[in-house]
Amino acid sequence: MRAAQRTAELSNLQFSLLLALPVLVFLLLVVAYPLGYALWMSLHEISFFGGYKAVFVGVEHFADVIGDRKFKKSLWVTVRFTLESVALAMVAGLLIALVLNRKMRFAGLVRTIVILPWCISLYGTGVIFSYLAKGQTGIGTAIAYALGIEEAVNVVNKQWVIEVLAVGNAWNMAPLVAFFLLANLKTIPSRLYDLAAIDRMSRLETFLNVTLPPLRFTLFVFTCITTVLSMKLFDFIFVLSGGGPGTASATLTYRIYKESFKDLDLGYGAAMSFMLLALILGTTLILYGLWGRREARSI
Amino acid sequence: MSIRLSTIWSWLALAVVLIWTLLPLYWFLKNSLLTPDEIARFPPPLYPLEPTPAAFFNIFGLDYEMADGIVRRGSGQANQIIRGLGNSLIVSAVVTVVTLFVVLPLAYVFARLDFPHKNKLLFAILLAVALPPVSTLIPFYAMYVRLGLSGTLVGLIIVTLTITIPFVTWMLIGYFRNLPQVERLARIDGFSRFETFLKIIVPQGRSGVAVAAVIAFLFSWNEYTYALMLVNGTTANTLPTAISGFLFQHPEPSHLAAAVALTMVPPALVAFFLQRHIAEMNLVDPVR
Amino acid sequence: MKLRVTAMAVTGALMLMSGAALAEGGLEAQSGETVFFRGWQYKTDIVQDNVDRYNNEQGGNVDYATVTGDYPAIMEQNLMAGAELDVLYANPSQAGRYFDGGWIMPAEALPNIDAIKADMYPNILDAWSYKGQLLGLSYFVSTRGVMHVNLKKYYELGYSDADFPADWDALYDQLYEMRDKGLDQPFLPHWINEWYGISWAFDFEVMNRGGQVAHPDTHEPLLTTDADGAAYKTLEDWKRIWNDGLVPEEVLTYNESSYIDAYASGRYVFSPQQLYDLETFNREDRSQIAGHASLLPYQGQSWGLLDSAVYLMTSRERSDGHTDDVKRFASWYGYQDQTGNVFVGNRWMQESMLFSGYKSVMESEAAAERMKSALAREQDIQAVLGVYAATPYPKGIWSVVWAEEFNSWLKETLQEFVQDDGDIVETIEAINEEIADLNKKYGL
Repeated sequence: MRAAQRTAELSNLQFSLLLALPVLVFLLLVVAYPLGYALWMSLHEISFFGGYKAVFVGVEHFADVIGDRKFKKSLWVTVRFTLESVALAMVAGLLIALVLNRKMRFAGLVRTIVILPWCISLYGTGVIFSYLAKGQTGIGTAIAYALGIEEAVNVVNKQWVIEVLAVGNAWNMAPLVAFFLLANLKTIPSRLYDLAAIDRMSRLETFLNVTLPPLRFTLFVFTCITTVLSMKLFDFIFVLSGGGPGTASATLTYRIYKESFKDLDLGYGAAMSFMLLALILGTTLILYGLWGRREARSI
Repeated sequence: MSIRLSTIWSWLALAVVLIWTLLPLYWFLKNSLLTPDEIARFPPPLYPLEPTPAAFFNIFGLDYEMADGIVRRGSGQANQIIRGLGNSLIVSAVVTVVTLFVVLPLAYVFARLDFPHKNKLLFAILLAVALPPVSTLIPFYAMYVRLGLSGTLVGLIIVTLTITIPFVTWMLIGYFRNLPQVERLARIDGFSRFETFLKIIVPQGRSGVAVAAVIAFLFSWNEYTYALMLVNGTTANTLPTAISGFLFQHPEPSHLAAAVALTMVPPALVAFFLQRHIAEMNLVDPVR
Repeated sequence: MKLRVTAMAVTGALMLMSGAALAEGGLEAQSGETVFFRGWQYKTDIVQDNVDRYNNEQGGNVDYATVTGDYPAIMEQNLMAGAELDVLYANPSQAGRYFDGGWIMPAEALPNIDAIKADMYPNILDAWSYKGQLLGLSYFVSTRGVMHVNLKKYYELGYSDADFPADWDALYDQLYEMRDKGLDQPFLPHWINEWYGISWAFDFEVMNRGGQVAHPDTHEPLLTTDADGAAYKTLEDWKRIWNDGLVPEEVLTYNESSYIDAYASGRYVFSPQQLYDLETFNREDRSQIAGHASLLPYQGQSWGLLDSAVYLMTSRERSDGHTDDVKRFASWYGYQDQTGNVFVGNRWMQESMLFSGYKSVMESEAAAERMKSALAREQDIQAVLGVYAATPYPKGIWSVVWAEEFNSWLKETLQEFVQDDGDIVETIEAINEEIADLNKKYGL
């Protein structure tokens, strides 16, 4: 009893540190250490070949990255891919959530089916969409021929490859968004819908005034999550298009992979990594400043 | 009349959702039932003309005799598939358990208690969510080469934790915050803070904990980027890298499709479990 | 000085002893240690079966697995890291770099190396030797980029064998004729997204047109920017067929697997493919053009380049007994088994028509029989041997430490050149510059 009392007397800070300190130390090791290592690398010219060597070069790599034509192109590819992915994932997620929110038979089965895309690795998703979208194996080609139009339908080309990637990415992420939105939908009291019916609101009005408001905060959080996940994405792009055709879908992550692992230019790749990290954090903060802060207050 | 119209709409919406979900899956997984000859056909067949389960035997190294007497030989990658299955299970299980041990107290502290510098510390953790794997891959790789950790399960587990810990923390903070405020009552009943956490909070939030476990499991089960670089071609190979070998100089799309179907089984099982619990989750802003 | 001599004598004696042990003990594994054997994915069931045979008959403890993704890059990292890796597949373009990195043990370390060398064709021995040492044992030799022709489609368009294009210029002209006859995309170029894709397509087309990318010994850049030069004409034609829509755009995203499946589907008339894949394309159970898959013969201009692979042994830290086991397995797998038969080499010939660097495999009755049965027509055997005999090897850009670095740079440069309608002269100059830079980087 005395022991329990003494514990109870711990201040919030002491108790928090007691629980959180080991975790923070662990995180420091597994996150901060590589981050520091990356910073060190970005300031050095490292060569593995013919004996390990590291020469200090200051901010030279960063200056080079900023002037790099390929970097700029990749930056634009990343932004376009992210915008499309997030918009699609949020719309698809919302639609799925609304459908799942209806009372229906086999609801458990439908929910299990709908979550399947999220259960497939991004490697698998890459292969799946590569088969779906390429002219040789694609569903477009099969349907065109079935309709008597004898022409291959290929969308993995310079013009559409980013859209193909965005659809695949959204397909993979949408269930996660949907299930969290569903959780929020479940909290809307059904009498609100009854009231809306009495007020003779149209379906659209009901959706805007009753359904949407409690979802807005979750929508914000998941816009952030899907943005971060899309900007970080690598494996899926690596498998589906390999950054191609040409460099049409070479996102920043792909560019970093190539610099670091194929050309073994570790310092340069690390410098580019920090640019990407800045982009991710910057976008998240802007989202929070423009949207999240408001939503947080209104709760 | 209007009821009927809305019923039609909702059936239509359901159909759209099911097609969106299943069509890409169907289009690829049908390959698992095709013969190599059918796969080489152009235009691609809409459905398997003579479905054969051969690929599902082959990926485990077993020969399969077709109706016409042709024997489809077991894949030489069967060893990798089986070893990858084992490794993936080990990595996912360890990662899930460690993640929960680490994340539960952390999320609880951040969700329920106020203390100085809390937001700064929280932000540091959330920063980890934003770290791209391709960026930490480089330091991890260089570090692992020196420490002799590349090509080991331990190395892969450590690296996977950097993904699961921040993400699951983010999710659980919102969840814990929404639980009823019971700490004061618990303390009056003589519970210490540890007891409150272990005996009251964790059991009360068990569906959230279960979902967090499942999410950690899925993240590590599906992890490919780190595995591709750190354990590819070693005895620590995981399933996603093991199956990625089917498309090369001697293409075996049917084997790949069968293997992808195999990798879906454990997540599909947990999905069935997940769908009941996740609707009870409620995620709100971790940074206030 | 005296110490060094003694040390050398001791090392020499040890080497002799281990050689003697190898000779006496045959090829049976003795140390009980695991030998790690890695390669890219090609008919893994056969490889596993071969390994199983060694393990069963010679008490071996060999662990086989494939490595996927960017094979050269990943292998290099494994070697650098001293990963568990003893015997591996490699192209000659990687082998030299690995040797310079000090990560591999040349085949010269094998006790029966003289017999192995004597059985190898001189040009192959030359291609696989680096700085005077034979690096590895024969996996396969082939012509990559030999011009496959789908006879069924070709005849349907009203052509006969007499119309077979003799060189690249004639081939491109014929593509335009075919388009006028209503076939929009008759050609599937070797512009795929593998590490050996579009860059090798450039390398072989330049050589086929009589050019050289770099000097075989000094490695200095040799491409010229004049309009009649091999590189200029190659890029000019690429630009033309791309801009005129003769090339399916998706080929730039293909992996090897898609490339083979696409040609096997019978959509195309011409495609530069692997020589041994004539066997694949003529198989009823794999291909829609079985019985119609043929090739353009040698008519004064070579096609493709000499593609080959060797089995390398690593030099990672092992006990001497373990290293001897590695040698035993490599020798059994890469040359003769315990009965003196080149078991694996002969088996690949029978299974897939893979050519070997060994005379004893290539000049056997069985090999001749096999080639006959793998090809669409009797006369194709002459075409195969004719093209193969004339195949060039890009020593200047492959037998050099920067081979793969240049290759990966070239791949991206050429993909962009095609897609962004790049300038021909600027591109050629950039290639020369890159080679000069790499030479400087490595002090060549």
